[in-house]
Amino acid sequence: MATIEDLSKYVIKGNVAKTKKLTQALIDEGAAPLEIINQGLIAGMNVVGVRFKNGEMFVPEVMVAAKAMSQGIEMVEPLIVEGEMPSAGKVLLGTVKGDLHDIGKNLVGIMLESSGYTVIDIGIDKAPEAFIEAIKEHQPQIMGMSALLTTTMLHMKDTIELMKEEGLGNVKAIVGGAPISQDFADEVGADGFAPDAASAVDLCNSLLS
Amino acid sequence: MNTTRSNFTRANFEVNQTIHWKMLSDDQCEEIYMTALELLERTGAEILNKEAQEILEKAGCWVDGTRVRIPSALAEWAAKTAPSRVTLCDRKGNRALRVETTYSYYGPGQRNSFVLDPQTGERRKPIKEDVASAGVICDALKNIDFALSNGYPTDVNEASADLHVFEALLTNTTKPIIQYIHDVKQAQAILDMGVAVAGSLRELQKNPFFVFLIDADGTLVHSDETLAKVIFAAKNGVPFIYHTNLILGDTAPATPAGTLVVALADVLVGVLLGQLVRQGTPIIAGGIFTIDDQENGILPWGAPEVSLVGTGMTNLLRSLRIPSFGFAGASDSKISDAQMGLEEAFSMLHMGLSGTNLIHGCGLLEYGLTGSLVMLVIGDEIVGMTRKIINGIEVNEERLARGVIDAVQPGGTYLGEEHTLKYFRDEFWWPTIMSRDRIKDWTETGSKSLGKRAAERVQSILQTHKPEKLSDDVVAKLKEIIEKAEAAL
Amino acid sequence: MTIRSNIKANQSTRMNVLTPEQCQELVLAAEEAMWRTGTNFHDEESLEIMKKAGCWVDGERVRVPAHIFEQALKTCQKHIVLCNSRTGARELFVEGNNSYFGSGPCTPFTRNPFTEERHRATRQSVGWATKVLDALPNIDYAMSLGIVQDVPLLISDRHEFEQQILHTDKPIITVCVDQWGQADCIKMAEIVAGGEEELRKNPFICLYAEPISPGVHCREAAQKLVMGAKKDLPTIYTPCIMAGGTAPATLAGVMVQGLCESLSGLVLSQCTREGAPFIMGGVYTILDMATTIFSYGAPELSLLLAALADVAHYLEIPMFGTAGCTDSCIIDEQAGIEAAISVAMTNMSGANLNHDIGYAEQGATSNLDLVVICDEVLGMARRLTNGIRVNEETLALDVIEDVGPGGNFADEDHTEEHIEENYMPKLINRAAREIWENAGGKTLTQVANEKVRDIINHHEPEPLPKDLAAKIRDIVENAVGHMPGED
Repeated sequence: MATIEDLSKYVIKGNVAKTKKLTQALIDEGAAPLEIINQGLIAGMNVVGVRFKNGEMFVPEVMVAAKAMSQGIEMVEPLIVEGEMPSAGKVLLGTVKGDLHDIGKNLVGIMLESSGYTVIDIGIDKAPEAFIEAIKEHQPQIMGMSALLTTTMLHMKDTIELMKEEGLGNVKAIVGGAPISQDFADEVGADGFAPDAASAVDLCNSLLS
Repeated sequence: MNTTRSNFTRANFEVNQTIHWKMLSDDQCEEIYMTALELLERTGAEILNKEAQEILEKAGCWVDGTRVRIPSALAEWAAKTAPSRVTLCDRKGNRALRVETTYSYYGPGQRNSFVLDPQTGERRKPIKEDVASAGVICDALKNIDFALSNGYPTDVNEASADLHVFEALLTNTTKPIIQYIHDVKQAQAILDMGVAVAGSLRELQKNPFFVFLIDADGTLVHSDETLAKVIFAAKNGVPFIYHTNLILGDTAPATPAGTLVVALADVLVGVLLGQLVRQGTPIIAGGIFTIDDQENGILPWGAPEVSLVGTGMTNLLRSLRIPSFGFAGASDSKISDAQMGLEEAFSMLHMGLSGTNLIHGCGLLEYGLTGSLVMLVIGDEIVGMTRKIINGIEVNEERLARGVIDAVQPGGTYLGEEHTLKYFRDEFWWPTIMSRDRIKDWTETGSKSLGKRAAERVQSILQTHKPEKLSDDVVAKLKEIIEKAEAAL
Repeated sequence: MTIRSNIKANQSTRMNVLTPEQCQELVLAAEEAMWRTGTNFHDEESLEIMKKAGCWVDGERVRVPAHIFEQALKTCQKHIVLCNSRTGARELFVEGNNSYFGSGPCTPFTRNPFTEERHRATRQSVGWATKVLDALPNIDYAMSLGIVQDVPLLISDRHEFEQQILHTDKPIITVCVDQWGQADCIKMAEIVAGGEEELRKNPFICLYAEPISPGVHCREAAQKLVMGAKKDLPTIYTPCIMAGGTAPATLAGVMVQGLCESLSGLVLSQCTREGAPFIMGGVYTILDMATTIFSYGAPELSLLLAALADVAHYLEIPMFGTAGCTDSCIIDEQAGIEAAISVAMTNMSGANLNHDIGYAEQGATSNLDLVVICDEVLGMARRLTNGIRVNEETLALDVIEDVGPGGNFADEDHTEEHIEENYMPKLINRAAREIWENAGGKTLTQVANEKVRDIINHHEPEPLPKDLAAKIRDIVENAVGHMPGED
């Protein structure tokens, strides 16, 4: 008989098909939806996160594990009472206006998702207004911006200023990208900076604690 | 992932299974070979060993005192008769290294008069323990294929130092050993030790796990002792390396081509004598070359000419189908710094690309004077990088990834693709001590240079790696052989 | 005299990663990708040009029919020359198997050679870097080694170019922030050359743009490419791709992805103006799956770019390669290893114009000590690639006979005549230990740093005439920045 522990194992292995099959089986058996998520899907992903940090697992494997987890969650989600869905927090991500480089932002998204965050990715080439609109719509606790160029990174300041003007100062603003440094983050009034995807998770954790 | 369902084939298609790199063309190799044959026939060589003179004369050489001129037909016969391949085994007799065509294997260097103490970093004379440590390190490193001494131990009887070296290596690694021999007496004891490990001389001949290293004296001179060693090895049918040491502009012409003529003439004498003593004797030929750096009064081992002429020699030996022995991985730097890294990498890359079969010399600092285990560990990483490059790029339908490129679409990402998951481990080279940390992580873990990280690896290997042991009775037999040999001195 | 026939000699070492058949296979796969999948152009003018030429344009997506690509291959220049900015002397022949080397551009940070502080690049740091590049004999051209950031960022490229042209007469490869910046830099170059036509006849600048992998040409890049073609100035187009991230994880797949992007750029350049000088660039490497960095020291980088050189030679397109860079945060053993492997491999592959000498810390920080060290590595690599001459003179049979067995060649005329063939290092230390210790026991990096300081303090580049410098100052001062994403 399949168990919730097996579900964790399939997530760790990144086996999307088996994760889905077992999730369905558990639902059919009448397992508690929150238990499937917390002790099965997320528990597996937590192991993945630790192994990645220890250098035992690598990005593509984290990616498929996250994919397995989120597909499982999608199946359980309709069964959960609104508001009870576990989440470490909601983060909105985007690449600033005039910048089409997004691999770094994508990596941050994967790492956050695999750490239990709900991630809203609004894509590339996003003007300050687009960020504001999305923040209003999705109500995240954290808003993250990426830029690869020393020219496009200038848009970060505009966005943060516009957020304040719009009364969204309670949302934490974080920034990242090759030319970004802590000094720059301070200068534009950001709440935080992380040099890579793994530390972006630590940053979000500390901002929300 | 394929883009078509057809079972089509493709004709007339040549691929590089590995990278291709060549210095001398076939015609150039032939020209140097012909010139070396002419040199042996016209100038000849000094043969200072009586038995060798007799053997050569009987075979048809023109012997005039110690000067022996060799008819081209005879030298050519020897080059063709010598086997094109030798397999070296591990200590347990498992076939390990295919010393043939362009298979490349790497190992440490040995002629150092000093070592850097692995604990203190202090530069001092080598002791037997240092050889043992080198054995352990070689045994543990994935990309180091064979073991050599780490200098000559100064805490044992000088006249039997070779035996102690051999014992220290035998007991600390199962990898094949290249064993230098100072004289025939020690060679006999080493052979006895080898027989003790293998079980019998016949087993040793079938599955040789060590090879004698015999230095030619260079510039067409072959001393009494050197040739006695060749005759000894050939008579016993165990593989040996016959290599020459030449200095451009000093013991050889300043031109690389001229130096190669001398080098080839030198090693062909060893090949010929070996084949005359016992037809089919396995022999590995080679050379170590450097320039005369008059400004500094030293013989540099990090100079590009070391790799330049070494590669030329390998090209020549390949054209003759004689297994090759070469030199790489040493530096003229006195310490572990960027110079050490670049000189070590430069030579190891080129000798690997050239397809030299046995490449020794890794871990020698200070133009060969000082052995460093830290440098050896760094060399292991360089071999990893070099091998990744030499392996080239595999091009086939699935690796071309046409379907994947279309599935991802412009602006997409390959991170989550099945194809990525399937290939990323095998297509990438994975560093062990090279750092790819961002500056924040690098600083947080102590801002260590590669030299520091490698030194830590040396410590961890010495403390944790346990090489497979020899059985107690073999160990006892080895001791007995050494004691007997020392008593006879 | 005696003669012989049918002798083939190698004048240099010969390397190839791929056979011509494999090159063809990769090019055809890239052709298929351009046709089937296509690439995105975020630029109206480019879309217009390519549509007019017969490409299939669907929104931003451009698919290239094979015959248009093949036509572009025929029309692009095989012979590109870069010149001295002061004299117009024709210096670099970016073609065939010639290999030239220089620095890299655009690092946000640099390490100060006097204080060792890591800080954002400035006008001063770029000026210093250019001086160092100017002074080194094995460096053939200059790239900025830093984004000038102590000026308004939107016009940093004009300041960069000013610093470069003031401090070197070697050819300059200029990486501009956008098309407006590039227009200003071309204007400055025309002033120095003495007019638009003079610059075209003897170009000393080379333009640079890069697509965003996979398969996206942003507006700035496309515009820069179009402008380069219209101005008839050599333009480099360089995909910076990472296996497993922005390209397939297989190295062959990386080649296809990169070629598809570069060659789409080639099509745009040739559709803009037939015969426009185009240089196919590449920084092909891996995404390190443990640290997620874009690796500048990975062996895959050297391997992929040597393979790209094979393809470039096969297509007869000039190529822009990458070498002399490191992932290491400091100039240690690792930096030495990665510099040596990449420089040696690139030089042997015959890639034409090679950049990124001086990149440390995965390309985030430029380091002048590394530039000086690479100059030395280049000396070694060039000696080695020159190979071995085999002829009657070098075979030296008579000399060997004269000297005889056991003899010494030191006093022979032949030795005297040929000894200079050996590479004589300038920084590499071969002194005996005691001499080295008495001289301070310095590491190579310390010695390199001393040389960097000496060059900055004492080297005087060929000055730019004062009136020209004033005109350039004028353009820099009047430059107008454009916020990215806005017109």
